[in-house]
Amino acid sequence: MQVKTNEVFGGTKNRAGWFNIIFNKLGALLALILLMVALGIASPYFFTLRNLLNIAQQLAINALVAFGMLLAILTAGIDLSVGSVLALSISISSILIVNVGINSVVGIFLGLLTGTLCGMINGLLLTKFHLPHPFIATLGMMNVARGIALIITKSSPISGFPEWIQFIGSGSVGPIPTSFLLVLVTVCIFHYFLTRTSTGRYIYAVGGNLEAAKLSGINTDRVLVIVYSISGFMAAVAGVVLMGRVNATYPLAGLLYEMDAIAAVIMGGASFMGGIGTIWGTLIGAMIIAVIRNGLNLLGVPPDVQTVVIGSVIITAVYFDVLRRRQNEKLSKQTYYEMMS
Amino acid sequence: MKKLLVFLLIIGVLVMVFSTVLAKNYKIAVVFKALNSDWWKTVQAGVNAGAKDFNVEVSVVGPQAETAVMEQFNMIQDQINRNIDALVVAPLRPTTTNQAFEQAKKAGIPVFVFDTKANWPDQVTFIGLDNYDIARGLGKYIREKVLTTGGNLVIIRGAMGDKTHDDRVNGVLDEVKGANIEVLTIQPGNSERGIAMNVMQNILLVHQNVDLVFCTNDEMALGALRAVETMRTRTKIKVIGWDGTSNALASIRDGKLYATVDGNAFCMGYDVVKYVVKYLNGEKIDKNIEVDYSIIDHTNFEKFIERLQKVLKRKI
Repeated sequence: MQVKTNEVFGGTKNRAGWFNIIFNKLGALLALILLMVALGIASPYFFTLRNLLNIAQQLAINALVAFGMLLAILTAGIDLSVGSVLALSISISSILIVNVGINSVVGIFLGLLTGTLCGMINGLLLTKFHLPHPFIATLGMMNVARGIALIITKSSPISGFPEWIQFIGSGSVGPIPTSFLLVLVTVCIFHYFLTRTSTGRYIYAVGGNLEAAKLSGINTDRVLVIVYSISGFMAAVAGVVLMGRVNATYPLAGLLYEMDAIAAVIMGGASFMGGIGTIWGTLIGAMIIAVIRNGLNLLGVPPDVQTVVIGSVIITAVYFDVLRRRQNEKLSKQTYYEMMS
Repeated sequence: MKKLLVFLLIIGVLVMVFSTVLAKNYKIAVVFKALNSDWWKTVQAGVNAGAKDFNVEVSVVGPQAETAVMEQFNMIQDQINRNIDALVVAPLRPTTTNQAFEQAKKAGIPVFVFDTKANWPDQVTFIGLDNYDIARGLGKYIREKVLTTGGNLVIIRGAMGDKTHDDRVNGVLDEVKGANIEVLTIQPGNSERGIAMNVMQNILLVHQNVDLVFCTNDEMALGALRAVETMRTRTKIKVIGWDGTSNALASIRDGKLYATVDGNAFCMGYDVVKYVVKYLNGEKIDKNIEVDYSIIDHTNFEKFIERLQKVLKRKI
């Protein structure tokens, strides 16, 4: 457990050259930079300010969903319900605001609460009802939440929200999109939470080795419930951004968003085995996905080819990370042998 | 005791046989592509109206989403086992459902196809209008009414390999080909509003001279429209959708969306029941029954809004 936390927070001191250090620390970032350089060469529009601001706006929703997903994956779990929870929570908010006519702040708050509750139920199913793997609880929630969203909205879109919600989704502070600022603030909060608070550290411990974490006195059930609650909450936050962005709620909102979120987390260097991953990595993962999608649009790549490219980039980016980790292992073994001899 | 049981069983079977013979109302299973969109809800309203008028028992089922091909296949099989008089299917993809149709044929159940062609030779009839043919009509509308002096077109489409979207794109492309209309780019929008908005934003950056955007469904059209709206200098760009959903109609009313295509969902639903009953009553029917479609724009949206409000039982 100790070793893992060390690695996560960059504690591994190796005596490799600068290239290795960059490669080690910045596997995903390197992939992102290469990708951006390539797209910059291919399209004259890529490095325009307008386009970069567009990308910042376009990555926000996936990034916010992915931050919640990161916590689940850090505990060696997964949250498949995020897309549906997003839809359910904004459906509740929209109905309350538009159809019932309650105060929009209260409406959004209740939507966020809905998302958190869905996540909490996921966590409780996992811990108190002992469902074997979060895959199952969240798969169930994915269907239930989507279904309820369809039922309560009668499968129809709802639109017409107050100015401030649109400001979150499509407004900007100076030149910077509000939604991107929200992402940056969230990253800072998550960074503090994961590295400086005991609950945050416990999350890594639970993912590193559940039994060991239990034995060392961590209330692992509590940690897991918190993790899935946050994941649900983040899906709902992403939902608010989506609402403001398209100025509408539609029951099929967030369809398949869990896939992009998982891809962002994994590309950002997190391990499916749990215990490894950072919020910054996930942000970069989300950036990579947004940049690919944007670049393919700018280049006018035919739709059928786009799917091939996106798949290939996901595999390549993760392979980068595998190489990085192998290098790491080799180095730490080397250090070990040198210390022994 | 045993004899009594056998006796009761025989009585039971006889009652069941007689009741079906006497009641004489047919049992028809209708399998949709999905149940939860405005389009399919409108079709369902048509089907229900037909069932009431012709006094038949109709059960309507459909998968969760228009991508659940296997789910639909299984649903068809389930319906065959229910001992129905006729099977009516809107196949998600042509040919994917044919294996299930073979089973229906073995069971002696006549198969009707509607909305999307199935390429199955033994079907009784196809009811509806192929998306490709409607798209040709829309292409003509674009050529003659929208971009009369030529212009630049952008297309945002749904999933690749989805017959519906392929047909809609190809029909329009084939029709505008000869005209002075340039297709700047075709990009995927995953049939989803948020994604289509991102895609449109990106396209607008590269192409300064877009005149018209055609999206293969209304959800994407509304997303693209949103992207156009956020750029205050580019509001002259027209957006056309497809499906005639409540949101799209409202947007046309507000002078935002330029046009949408209505495949006459209600009439198709009603006709399906009408022709099935005709066939079961022994009448001869055509191999191909066309349903009318309409292009809705600022000139004629009122009557469509009125009709959809009746079907959905709420104000748009």
